[in-house]
Amino acid sequence: MAEFTAAVYQNEFLPDGGTDVNAIVTISCAGAGTAGQAGSGAAGEIIIVDTSGSMGPSTMAAAKEAAQAALAEIVDGTWFAVIAGADRAMLAYPQVSSGPGMVQMDAGTRAAASEAIGRFVGSGGTAISTWLDLAGQLFSSVSQVTQRHVLLLTDGENRERPGRLDEAINRATGYYQADCRGAGTDWQVAEIRRIAQALLGTVDIIPSPALMKEQFQEIMRKAMSRGVADASLRVWTPQGAEILFVRQVSPTVEDLTIRRTAVNPLTGDYPTGAWSDESRDYHVGIRVPAKAVGQEQLAARVQLALGDDVVTQALVKATWSNNSELTTRIDQQVAHYTGQTELAQVIQDGLAAKAAGDEATATTKLGRAVQLAAETGNDEATSKLRKVVEVDNEETGTVRLKRAVDKADEMALDTASTKTTRIRKES
Amino acid sequence: MTCPSCGTAVRDGARFCEACGAALAEVPVSGVDVDAVDAAATAPAGAVTTPRFDDAPISAPTRKPLSALPDPPAPGRRPCAECGGEVGPDRYCLACGTKAPSERDHFREQPASWVAGVCDKAIRKSRNEDAMALLAGPEPGSRAVLVVMDGVSNSIDSDVASLAGARAAREVLRMPLPAGMGTAESRSAAVQKVFTDAAAAANTAIIAVTDPDSPNPASATFTTVVLEGSRAYWANIGDSRSYWIPDAGDAVQLTTDDSVAQAQIATGVAREVAEAGPQAHAITKWLGRDSEDPTPTVGALDLTGSGWLLACSDGLWNYASTPDAIAAQVRAAAADPAADPMAVALALVAFANDAGGHDNITAALARVDLGHNDQTPTPAPAGTPGGEPTDG
Repeated sequence: MAEFTAAVYQNEFLPDGGTDVNAIVTISCAGAGTAGQAGSGAAGEIIIVDTSGSMGPSTMAAAKEAAQAALAEIVDGTWFAVIAGADRAMLAYPQVSSGPGMVQMDAGTRAAASEAIGRFVGSGGTAISTWLDLAGQLFSSVSQVTQRHVLLLTDGENRERPGRLDEAINRATGYYQADCRGAGTDWQVAEIRRIAQALLGTVDIIPSPALMKEQFQEIMRKAMSRGVADASLRVWTPQGAEILFVRQVSPTVEDLTIRRTAVNPLTGDYPTGAWSDESRDYHVGIRVPAKAVGQEQLAARVQLALGDDVVTQALVKATWSNNSELTTRIDQQVAHYTGQTELAQVIQDGLAAKAAGDEATATTKLGRAVQLAAETGNDEATSKLRKVVEVDNEETGTVRLKRAVDKADEMALDTASTKTTRIRKES
Repeated sequence: MTCPSCGTAVRDGARFCEACGAALAEVPVSGVDVDAVDAAATAPAGAVTTPRFDDAPISAPTRKPLSALPDPPAPGRRPCAECGGEVGPDRYCLACGTKAPSERDHFREQPASWVAGVCDKAIRKSRNEDAMALLAGPEPGSRAVLVVMDGVSNSIDSDVASLAGARAAREVLRMPLPAGMGTAESRSAAVQKVFTDAAAAANTAIIAVTDPDSPNPASATFTTVVLEGSRAYWANIGDSRSYWIPDAGDAVQLTTDDSVAQAQIATGVAREVAEAGPQAHAITKWLGRDSEDPTPTVGALDLTGSGWLLACSDGLWNYASTPDAIAAQVRAAAADPAADPMAVALALVAFANDAGGHDNITAALARVDLGHNDQTPTPAPAGTPGGEPTDG
């Protein structure tokens, strides 16, 4: 049985008249077990491989091998299916035209699915909305599957009428999760990130085919370790309070603010998807009406809920004080993640400006990114930034854009922009 | 008829009370219970019969009598003081998020409909070092015990110590006071002994929770009032106080402070001057490891009219020191003689908080209804622990 714990990091002291409370809440899960084994329902896995004409022979060969390796990671008994995606989606395995569109994994189905993947041939265009919709239909054809996860690989830009993909993303949101990978450099980071963020998954670039197998294995292993099918971050705030934002800030930055579903007038749920043995950090910003100096009040209860069951809770407090030594202190965790959130934003803004030819903005934004990455100790961001800009002064954020930048490095910087680092927790 | 020990209605002719088991038949009408007879004799016709405490032992109790008073009922979770909303298990209001005080910072006891007390941290203090422990029989006017202690704020863990002390003293006072061997002197000595034991028990409890290495050991004041029928007994160490506030007539401060201010008043300094002095709150006697004399001053008073017994800490009387001033507050809160004593206690605490709330506030009250209203309280017969405080 999974056990959840919660810890809060904040400076609860507000100056006289102060209203805004910031807190980092760390939620940890232990004993999650294996996907589909917790008794709350079966797990389902769908692998979607881009089989459009743009997939070159070496990429296609690597994709086949990687998909086959991913199959090997799927635990026996798990329901699964394989989709070949082009300008329409094809159910590659199981080859059925009616009834349940998924089968349970065993040695026989694994071998048969492997064989089906081996027959993939690249042709046609890229219509990702059809892939997502087929995945949704397959999941819904097996009612006992309650934990739904997709691994999606693409190598090209979506070629559909604008809006179609967003509609498909909306249909899938809240129904299944998806980890997305882009092969090569002809795909759009922003487009695929939209899918991954909505479907509570990750996005990354696989710059060379040789790395593909390892990545697929890792994604699938992780999916299989998520024994807690679904959970919500539940946030209660007092009457008269306003939620400024709710963000996941570790392992990646995801703004959850607008993804609230009301539980009651004072409480809302934010989706977190499935959990393995892991811990995640959330940054909540709450505005409360100011009280008199010396008063204490609860600004938020941040809980993790499995269905209707609250399994852990952290209390975010506000205490008004006229001791400026207390009120001016900024919590280290809050400061760290505020920096990391800004880092993600300035990297994305900087790269967008660079793509649009606005070099001045790109230089300022990426310079700020270099500065923030150094300040917050995000070494991965620092090394990725250094492939895109020449750093004159890290401390002041003085940089110059590199003239010749490998497109893959730029995309790697973009996809990694939301990844955050942690600082050692103080107790 | 009702059981004289616990006040429960009993069948006529019953030999034992069904509720508490006290013997009812063959009530001795003379001899050991001289004082009660005297007190009853002083009451005008029509007064309720003074309950007799037949289970009272001759000396300090050595067994648990069947008439021992039960503990007050456990408090439930109170609604939010700010908005009236439900308070969650995490002690914050589920609606407005206001922090509910901890049970140590604000607690209430109501052992019977006619006895209640509130012990409150007060708005200007960060910790509640006051403590209170109450007992009462269900029948109004039967038997009540009010214990109030005030932990000395510059000593360590005095909040833990004062509560442990108050509860230990309450344990000693759970049984009716002893009747002695039949003479007033004997009874007086026996009562003195019980109160000394109660203070000693409180003292032992304080020392038990004091870190042996504490450079500043916990210490506390001690005041208690015990009502048995129409007689009130009190004992005191330090500057917490007990008052008798009759519905009509002058209120009386029963206890005498062991304080620098009181010593000055005794030498002729005006109360207002003495109580405003820099050392006003320095106490000259206390309980705790460094107590030099844990023996309380004990007294008794026969009540002849209806009114309120009040035990309180200086967090209350600081804002209404004279008997008249405190009586005015009690009477304002209890304009209706049938007022719920809890409401009166809450009103007194609110008064002290509104007046500044600079110190922990405790107010414990017992409503005494003797069915008539004499103008003046009658001192207990000479030779008994009453009238004038006698130093133990």
